[in-house]
Amino acid sequence: MKNLQDTIREIAAQSLARGEVELVIGWEKGDLWWQSYPAFIEEEKEADRLIWDPLCVPNLSRYLLQELSEMDEKKIALFVKGCDALAFNQLLQDNRTVRERVVLYGIPCDGLVDPSKLEREGLDRDLQEVERDGEELVLKAAAGEEKRVPAKDYLYDKCLTCRYPNPVAYDQMLGETVPVEPEERFTGVRKLEELDYEDRFSYWAEQFSRCIRCFACRNVCPACSCIKCVFDLQEPRWLGKATEPSENAFYHIIRAYHVAGRCVDCGECSRVCPVDIPLQELNRKIILDINELYGEYDAGVDPEQEAPLITYKTDDPAAFTES
Amino acid sequence: MSVAREEHNFEPLIVAFCCNWCSYAGGDLAGTSRMSYPPNARVIRVPCSSRVSPNFILRAFQRGADGVLVAGCHPGDCHYITGNYHARRRLSILRRFLGFMGVEPERFEVHWISASEGGKFAEVMTEMPEKIRALGPNRKLRDAR
Repeated sequence: MKNLQDTIREIAAQSLARGEVELVIGWEKGDLWWQSYPAFIEEEKEADRLIWDPLCVPNLSRYLLQELSEMDEKKIALFVKGCDALAFNQLLQDNRTVRERVVLYGIPCDGLVDPSKLEREGLDRDLQEVERDGEELVLKAAAGEEKRVPAKDYLYDKCLTCRYPNPVAYDQMLGETVPVEPEERFTGVRKLEELDYEDRFSYWAEQFSRCIRCFACRNVCPACSCIKCVFDLQEPRWLGKATEPSENAFYHIIRAYHVAGRCVDCGECSRVCPVDIPLQELNRKIILDINELYGEYDAGVDPEQEAPLITYKTDDPAAFTES
Repeated sequence: MSVAREEHNFEPLIVAFCCNWCSYAGGDLAGTSRMSYPPNARVIRVPCSSRVSPNFILRAFQRGADGVLVAGCHPGDCHYITGNYHARRRLSILRRFLGFMGVEPERFEVHWISASEGGKFAEVMTEMPEKIRALGPNRKLRDAR
């Protein structure tokens, strides 16, 4: 991993020095071991802040929305993992970014570490640094101790089902492509579908009851790119301010439905949720239905392909009785 | 009103979004043809079935509807050429999604009713309340305040 991190710093420094770009977006280390935050680098000498470790999970493409609008004609360099690249393509398809103004450096990603899985087993004690070494994670503690654990046990669930770990859009690829071995991603959806309607409703009512309406799931989503969001409207006010069960359900149903056919299944919504609502399952249910009814479609893979819910066929099937 | 009493006298409340160009006229035809059907539905006239946003449907459930009906022109007959083709995809996804959320699919129906199908309009308006009566009052998604 160190090699890739050096390459990232080198590229950032060079492209800023040559004036090819005005801004580089990458990741930097926070104060704690699990914090790998988005970093916005404008000076060549700052490039050493950039890092690459198995905790660099924030999807950077979404930040183009604010940065591009603030920067007029300037160019931005962006490091993209597989999911970031899908997100970039989706923004491109939604006309929310400009391909010519962005330089993409692709990072093949072999899965990122879920800090909560390490915490669950108490492996986070005195932890300073996490490194990836092949199929293993190297956990470095404060006292210089090292512990090796199998990486696969501690990756995000969304990474285990990832079908595009290698970026689908890039100007330059950094590193070797990684093998694609996804687990079945609709298992969770199918399990919920085995419940009857009452149990499904109580399941979701319980999940949504924890919602504090922080809107993190909306704010992080690369498909939620509207300039004016329906949830912020005062007139008509579709979403009330109270965190009341029906308002919460309204919010989550509409949020998932608004990204229907555009969700790239990056799983950021579930990751950022402070109360662990399995939001990705909502999006995946819609993806599954679109695939079943209107043909397989992977949002973000080909920005030229028409999204399923903005087009139609005259002989489409329907999920209701037509007569 | 106590729950028991509400269930005893339960009359399903249905919000029906009807396309101006066909289903609404179909309702008119049912009326001028002197067909009778139960008065459970509150009809809201919309310019096209594709005008019906999921916000409308959820809001209806929030404010006390036991069922929601969207009625539009038959595919191919849209006044705006393609509106109902889009609606067919969107509402199909929404209907399955509401089912996933635990709302019985009988509570959200889509029907194609043309301006000449007064009989079908009356039929749908008769059948849907019966199905919902069997399910009982809807409390899911209902705003309890």
